[in-house]
Amino acid sequence: MCMECGCGQSNGNTRLQFTVTGYTEESAKECERTLLGLPGVLFVHIHAHDGETTVDYAPGKTKLKDILAVFEERNLEAAL
Amino acid sequence: MEIQVMKNILGENDRIAAENQAMFRDKGVYVLNLMGSPGAGKTSVLEKTMEHLKDKLSMAVIEGDLFTSKDAERIDKYGVPVIQINTAGGCHLDAAMVQKAAASLDLAALDLLIVENVGNLVCPAEFAVGEQEKAVVLSVTEGADKPLKYPLMFKEAAVALLNKVDLLPYCDFDMQGARDDITALHPGIEVIELSCTKGTGLDAWCEWLEERARR
Repeated sequence: MCMECGCGQSNGNTRLQFTVTGYTEESAKECERTLLGLPGVLFVHIHAHDGETTVDYAPGKTKLKDILAVFEERNLEAAL
Repeated sequence: MEIQVMKNILGENDRIAAENQAMFRDKGVYVLNLMGSPGAGKTSVLEKTMEHLKDKLSMAVIEGDLFTSKDAERIDKYGVPVIQINTAGGCHLDAAMVQKAAASLDLAALDLLIVENVGNLVCPAEFAVGEQEKAVVLSVTEGADKPLKYPLMFKEAAVALLNKVDLLPYCDFDMQGARDDITALHPGIEVIELSCTKGTGLDAWCEWLEERARR
């Protein structure tokens, strides 16, 4: 359906993968919810055990520093 | 070398949507873009909305469907002006379609115009039609996993109507989980539990809508 109309192909979203150190099960859940609440963030997937964190976001709506702030505020270290 | 320039269809749609929005604002009509999956209960919500509000507000409906005028026929019974748009297979309404349909309505006489989009949880969220706000209908029979699977719809909507709650005893639907996911995606979104068959939540929904239409 969407391949026909082009929906979703030009939304300009960026997908970044971070490695985050210091997650607990609780802080991973909290980060997921907080990230999802940011404007333009459409997808968040976190593997708490190894820190792999994928974020799909619209740079026009949320800046990278806003995403990084979510980790920093919880004393987590995020590397791209 | 030949350089092909692709037209930005979303940009063009946004331009026409902005025109529509200015026109609706100028005429003093509140426009709601009603979205959701096929079978979520969008038309049932509309029917109940008309039962509750047609004597309080001057309303009209634009119905979007792939084919047929079945939904428009349901709306017509309430004596509310209704215009059917058939997209002939297109998976969403766009601003140009709504602009053309709205030209047949006496907008200045309306308080509320509801645009029922094509049943689809993906594409309609990407195409503004000139609405002031969007609403999404999610039925409990669809599953509580849908908000995270279709996040844009819930990011864009000002209100989420969780419909068919009378069927909760027969469904494995995690209501609190769905609410948590929806509000995580869109802090501040209004979430209303609804049953069109039993009447649950209709007062809350109609109050929400009436308050906006009267602003």
